[in-house]
Amino acid sequence: MKKRNYCVLATLVLIVMFSVSNLNGQEKKLMYGKTPDEFFPYNNFQKAYKYHFLEPIQFYGAGREKLSPKDLNEVKIGFLGPLEGSALMSLGKQMLNGATLAIEEANRKNGYNSIPFKLMVHNDVGLWGAAANEVVKMDDEKVWAFMGSIDDIVSHVALRATLKLEIPMVNTGDPDPTFTETNIPWVNRVISDDRQSGYALASYIFEKMKHKRVAVSRTNSRYGRVGIMEYSGVAVRLGHPMMIEERFNEGETDFKMQLENIKKTSSDAILIWGNAKEAALILKQLRKMGMKQPVYGSDRMVSAEFLKIAGKDAEGIVTTSPYNPNADTPKLKAFQANYYKRFGLEPDAFAAHAYDGMNIIVEAIKKAGLNRVLIRDVLTDLKTFQGYQGVTGKIIFDGSWNDIGDIWMAKVQNGQFKFSASPPMTMKKTSAEKKEN
Amino acid sequence: MMKIKLKKYSKIAVFSVVFLGIGYMGFLWYGQNISSLNHLSEDKLTMLDDPQLLPEKTAKLTAIEKDSNPIPIYGHWQNFTSKDGLPGDKAYCVRINGNRVLVGTHEGLAVYEQGKWRTYTTKDGLAHNGVLSIDVSELTGDVWLGTMGGLTRWSAGNFENFTQFNSGLPNDIIYSVICDGKDVWTATAGGAGHYDTFTKRWEIFTEQNAPMHEPWTYGVCAGDGKIFIAAWGGGVVEYTKKTKKFRDYVDPDGNMEMDLFPDDGVVHDITTGTSWANGNLWVATYFGLSRYDGVHWKGYFDHDSGLASNFINFVRAVGPVAFICTDKGLSTTDGENWVNYTKNDQNNAGKTIIIKGNEKTASAMSPSISHNFTLGVDVKDHVIWLATSKGVSRGELLK
Repeated sequence: MKKRNYCVLATLVLIVMFSVSNLNGQEKKLMYGKTPDEFFPYNNFQKAYKYHFLEPIQFYGAGREKLSPKDLNEVKIGFLGPLEGSALMSLGKQMLNGATLAIEEANRKNGYNSIPFKLMVHNDVGLWGAAANEVVKMDDEKVWAFMGSIDDIVSHVALRATLKLEIPMVNTGDPDPTFTETNIPWVNRVISDDRQSGYALASYIFEKMKHKRVAVSRTNSRYGRVGIMEYSGVAVRLGHPMMIEERFNEGETDFKMQLENIKKTSSDAILIWGNAKEAALILKQLRKMGMKQPVYGSDRMVSAEFLKIAGKDAEGIVTTSPYNPNADTPKLKAFQANYYKRFGLEPDAFAAHAYDGMNIIVEAIKKAGLNRVLIRDVLTDLKTFQGYQGVTGKIIFDGSWNDIGDIWMAKVQNGQFKFSASPPMTMKKTSAEKKEN
Repeated sequence: MMKIKLKKYSKIAVFSVVFLGIGYMGFLWYGQNISSLNHLSEDKLTMLDDPQLLPEKTAKLTAIEKDSNPIPIYGHWQNFTSKDGLPGDKAYCVRINGNRVLVGTHEGLAVYEQGKWRTYTTKDGLAHNGVLSIDVSELTGDVWLGTMGGLTRWSAGNFENFTQFNSGLPNDIIYSVICDGKDVWTATAGGAGHYDTFTKRWEIFTEQNAPMHEPWTYGVCAGDGKIFIAAWGGGVVEYTKKTKKFRDYVDPDGNMEMDLFPDDGVVHDITTGTSWANGNLWVATYFGLSRYDGVHWKGYFDHDSGLASNFINFVRAVGPVAFICTDKGLSTTDGENWVNYTKNDQNNAGKTIIIKGNEKTASAMSPSISHNFTLGVDVKDHVIWLATSKGVSRGELLK
């Protein structure tokens, strides 16, 4: 009897111990962005007064009571992407293809209760803030949800209008970490962001490859400025701040001045953050200048355009990639085959993610019915699509509905990108800390 | 012999687990409280006295009226929806204009006068039916409407539209418009716009010519010879009219995922609105509220103040009081004391909650405000009007 009492007492103590441990809310920050504790800003010095994005924000507005309209001939879904007048046109067209394929397949499967889905296509480039105007047009068209975009400024501007107009938005192409840090409960992102890219690159460069002195050349656009931020922060925390950060403009072709400055730093590796064309030209020119360091890059370099321009100089380059086209899954193989059959070309990362994103929108509409708030509720409940198996792999959302699923390393070998898992994000002690101990 | 030993060891094991467990819980308690104490010393905020967790006393509204309250309390709520004549239920903004009230809805401009609603839409000349912001010029009486398709001036019964194609307006989506003497300022999706109604000239302010991180803006207000622009992602941009000089106020920790110290600057760089009165600038964000008195910043969150929610759609300051439109009701504060108005989910009744220091009193009200998701507010004399996700509300000053 006594023995049983002791056991009960011990069990109770253990239960209380672990529940108290779970109640310690400040530790929940680990959930955000799959950020290791050591990568968190100020982690070694000061706990923040308030951590955001620990719990998903809810939408408390009205609208759930609205009934579905009757006598509809089509169920409209918006598309916002760079289709004309943009340096990202080729990516935008792949994105549109991916979305179109998903819609066509959904319509072959009876659409929404026998009503066909219809894609309302909008170009996102134009005057300042034009994306917001396009979202207003989508509201006038009465879309139930929309997908967009790739450019980070466009996506941000569209997102703001989205909150006012209350249209669910699924993003499949913008890697800007601040996009989902706006706390707007109307958006999901179905592609890994530059936070994940930055962590993976820093871990690979410093932990796996043991580099210590890394120079950076990045595009002088918001994609470059915001994209490099997470890598830069982690590099500092790992004890290897950037040796130099040189900038170039999109469309530039001569990078001699920036590369001369990089050469002077005697760096043991170079990281290029930019679009495929400029990155390939930089790579060619730095090799021509005799720089033989290993070169790393951002995910927009994973393209046929990069391989074509860089030629044999591309050999050995390592980048991150939000998509592994060589993954051996039946779902991906079927998608690739269908895509090629429909459009006559291989799908890229933007096509594959758009296909997944549009399928998620379609499923959400089918589950929730024709009510924007209810569609939003399904998209953001962190249950319905948590762990969704898309053609791009398993999609996992954090508390800000940001995709923290798998990310890959892509290495050019024999003129082709070969994909492998990214290294685990852990931080070993810096040399200074080792000495201290 | 073996049995005795096992019994003895099992006792030791159980006591060890109990001892370790108690020690571990003590360690956690110590860690949590030390962390809270750090916050107390750094920020002078009472983590241990979370107002949301304070025991709630109940009182009748008549008793509250008799009590001395540092900030005004409103009641006798009357609500209006599309059933009462509004063009739509979703109201973005409200402005009291003499004997009439102007309400911006998703379906047009609604004007309440002599107990009746009248609607104006694109058919009457509005730039767009979605009216996001309204202000009235004290100089001319002109009504300026920020819509989703341009800026509309309503003057002497005529509508005149300014768009990015026919004027210097930065973008057609106008989140905020204010009149400041002869000047009209707009916060748009493509930057801040300034229109001089005398010279008819436009100026555009973006990241190219002002200390904004991005070209998009969300709110604007005037006060103390300055214009304060809520720059989405760039905190608050201050423009001094006399010197034409800019300066910015951002969250010094430089990180979107946290607020390192609440009183070191604006609580977050994603700002949604600004309002200046009585020497104080109030800044709304989706992460909390900030107040700046020209020297010091003070941050307010739902866990350390009476703020109904950290998600703030709009703020308007009148005298010493800030009226804060959150997604969980209307909060009002003078910076120390709070009065919140909320609606029950299941019926038309709700609560008025008064927080004075560690004292929290709730009073039932029926009807309450129209909806908890509040988007705009205006106050004049003894009347308050509130725009919500489902209708507008009119309240009267109780004291």
